[in-house]
Amino acid sequence: MTKYKFTTVEEMPPLAFSIESTRKIPTGSWRHVRPIYKDKTSPCEVGCPAGEKIPVYFDLVRQKKYEEAWYKILEDNPLPGVTGRVCYHPCEGQCNRTFYDESVAIHNIERFVADKNFHNNPPERISVTDLLKSEKVAVIGSGPAGLSCAYQLARKGYRAVIYEAGHEAGGMLRYGIPHYRLPKNILDKEIGDIVSLGVQIKVDSRIGKNIPWGELEKYDAVFVAVGAMRSKKMSEGQRLNSSRSFGEAEGGDLKGVYSGVEFLYELNTGGSPQIGDKVLVVGGGNTAIDAARSALRLGKSEGSRPLSGKVTVLYRRTRAEMPAVPEEIEEAEKEGVKFEFLVAPVKIIGYRGKVSKIELQRMKLGEPDASGRRKPIPVVDSNFTIQADTIISAIGEEPDLSFLPYSFLKKGVRVFVDDDHSTGVPGIFAGGDAATNPNGTVVNAIRAGKEAAAAIDEFLGWRTKMDGVKQQVVQSEEINTFYFPHEKRAKFPRISVEKSKASFGEVNKTLSEEQALAEVDRCFSCGTCLHCDVCMTFCPDVAILKDEFGEYSIDYDHCKGCGICVNECPREAMELVEEELQWA
Amino acid sequence: MGQIKYQLPAEEILAPGHFACPGCGGTLAMRYALKALGRKTILVIPACCWTVIDGPVPFSAAGVPVFHTAFETAASAASGLKAGLEMQGDHETTVVAFAGDGGTFDIGFQALSGAAERNEDFIYICYDNEAYMNTGIQRSSATPFGAWTTTTPSESPKAENKKNIIEILAAHRIPYLATTSVAYPDDMIAKIQKAKEIRGMRFIHVFSPCPPGWKFEPEDSIKISRMAIKSKVFPLLEIFDGVDYRLSHEPAGTPVRDYLKMQGRFRHLKEKQIEEIQKTIDEEWERLKSKLVSSKRTRQSNGGPLAKERNLFHVKRGEALRKE
Repeated sequence: MTKYKFTTVEEMPPLAFSIESTRKIPTGSWRHVRPIYKDKTSPCEVGCPAGEKIPVYFDLVRQKKYEEAWYKILEDNPLPGVTGRVCYHPCEGQCNRTFYDESVAIHNIERFVADKNFHNNPPERISVTDLLKSEKVAVIGSGPAGLSCAYQLARKGYRAVIYEAGHEAGGMLRYGIPHYRLPKNILDKEIGDIVSLGVQIKVDSRIGKNIPWGELEKYDAVFVAVGAMRSKKMSEGQRLNSSRSFGEAEGGDLKGVYSGVEFLYELNTGGSPQIGDKVLVVGGGNTAIDAARSALRLGKSEGSRPLSGKVTVLYRRTRAEMPAVPEEIEEAEKEGVKFEFLVAPVKIIGYRGKVSKIELQRMKLGEPDASGRRKPIPVVDSNFTIQADTIISAIGEEPDLSFLPYSFLKKGVRVFVDDDHSTGVPGIFAGGDAATNPNGTVVNAIRAGKEAAAAIDEFLGWRTKMDGVKQQVVQSEEINTFYFPHEKRAKFPRISVEKSKASFGEVNKTLSEEQALAEVDRCFSCGTCLHCDVCMTFCPDVAILKDEFGEYSIDYDHCKGCGICVNECPREAMELVEEELQWA
Repeated sequence: MGQIKYQLPAEEILAPGHFACPGCGGTLAMRYALKALGRKTILVIPACCWTVIDGPVPFSAAGVPVFHTAFETAASAASGLKAGLEMQGDHETTVVAFAGDGGTFDIGFQALSGAAERNEDFIYICYDNEAYMNTGIQRSSATPFGAWTTTTPSESPKAENKKNIIEILAAHRIPYLATTSVAYPDDMIAKIQKAKEIRGMRFIHVFSPCPPGWKFEPEDSIKISRMAIKSKVFPLLEIFDGVDYRLSHEPAGTPVRDYLKMQGRFRHLKEKQIEEIQKTIDEEWERLKSKLVSSKRTRQSNGGPLAKERNLFHVKRGEALRKE
């Protein structure tokens, strides 16, 4: 303010005037509610089984800090390149943007971040402790659950040793997923990163076969993550039709009959299974779709016979109930895989030891069963027979637990575990598809590994501190959509159908940087402040300040608690709390 | 593209600690206006909420010199101040009359009309909260049809439509007229900055929600203001020279019901009255549209923006005046 020359009242000009700023008036005393900054949990974080901090790493991508973003993902998931390709992305199903236009393409961004860091190694600081603990933990199986558990244990300072029965690490990721979905160099890279953190992987070590169970007794804890690698027999999967038993005895031994896992294993280990002209795949899960699309490529790549249109998937329910990822079904359809719904196999008919026909029965949908899907019910007298040369049965997988010596508590074919993955035998934990309540997906296995690592840590008495406190989840109606103009979701680039179905090369490509940045901008960032200044812009009391680091503070001496900042926050990163009354 | 963000001038001229009610739209209007105008500004404030908001002697929130004047005299006081500054050789300082709707639409109207007719060189900003708020919510000629105020109780709410001040001022053919809203700070600041560059009488009409007067929670101020724009209750316009109309924001045209339902002052309205209000809005919008279309046609036939030349004329006239 201007300095005035008068010193006495007489010298003052004959009118009232103000020379002080109202800043001296603490209007904050009017307030009965107080705005605060409080980050909340986004629904995608809840939707992600691995619990990735999606809005946080999205913000890092937004700032083009791709390495930092990668480290953020690595805190929860050591295999972003894998999940960025094959995950069924339940996160996107929870995305609040779904209620506005289209969900954010989260898994494409995950893949983008992983691929951006393909030539980088995880830093030492990814470990939560510098202290190397004396306890050793054995992990049986190097699938996603085993890898995730060993990785998290290594981060916590344990020495983890993985016993892998196969010749190479990766489990189902290596042997169950075809190359066109997951190129093996990606898997090798990410397994390499895990090993670089001090995890030891012993391949060709099948417990109960060339390694006795007794060897595990030198470990302080064991995590059983052998997965479900054995295909169910059709007779077991199709119990509904048991009135007419259909199993190994009735055609299962014929030449030209494969199980889905067997078929994919052979393909992924360099073999080329012999298939005929007319391939039928039984089942509606991801294994079935993988097998069907692989069979299509196999026919093509050999150049022997044009196979297009000759691979048919048989499923006993309808498309809506198929457990496979919808995108995969669409892709298969694009490439020329045919679908036949509401049919179940009854009997395989052979001719001279080879498959020649299959007898099928029509189904109709009944009441929802325990899985929430509608139960298929056979239609009486609807049997019919069709020609087939090759039949791939992919009606589900189950674990092979014959190596377990103790009388482990089992539920069905799986190891029974508590919520903390303990088996009841002290020090032995289990997770992934080998244990109860599996959902057969990579990301759930990663979650199981992470949770088991935490449980083992607790069992061994350390309780290494990890962040990840669950807070209030942001609902879609809490988003202030005024700030978000409608924008189209990024479409992932893919090679042409003609090209894709002719080879085992990867079908989908990584988003370009430009696409990724545009897609990240679509994210509402529910519950995570992005410092967009909206709160500051609309404060009538000029009570929100920003320091030189870009952080906000509220001047409670002047804030009257009108709540505009909280109401206008585009992403619900603020809230109003009752002011405590002070009778001073 | 992503999220809408606002790039506003960083300098905060308005001080906290002022006496506005929580969630006051008129205060936000002042905050943005000062950001756009800068410190070389003199405010003339007649009797209105801002007389109180600015603070009791010896305090002032505005951060620039404020001249408090009588209710009916904002425009004449501003004319005098500007003339005084010109006489002292100060051609830089912007004189701004900052008045409420009462001091603009009703009590200060003849002074405003006079200043507009003389094309005085100052900016008149009217923050419109649609009634006499600080005296206890009495109706003004800016109060909309159907609204409750203490002088138009809900048994007999206001039966007349809001006075169309923009049309009246357009008829004075002043160089620049604009309507804006506190929910669109970027729009408001751009318009005031544009006004600052033009000489002659400029009028900015700011839609400023009033939580206690309109009976809504203070946190909804911006939301309501935005709804008014979206539902075509308050069009965002620019009028050059009183004839060249331009629309700054194409509203979505949401039902006016959503806007009315958020406010206690419209709570008593029956469905039929809401329909009537909607009809009036639609008719007004059609009328406005025809003006926009004919303005565009004129611009095109003149081979360029008509207003630009006219503005230059005003600048030149201003300069000529100063030389004299």
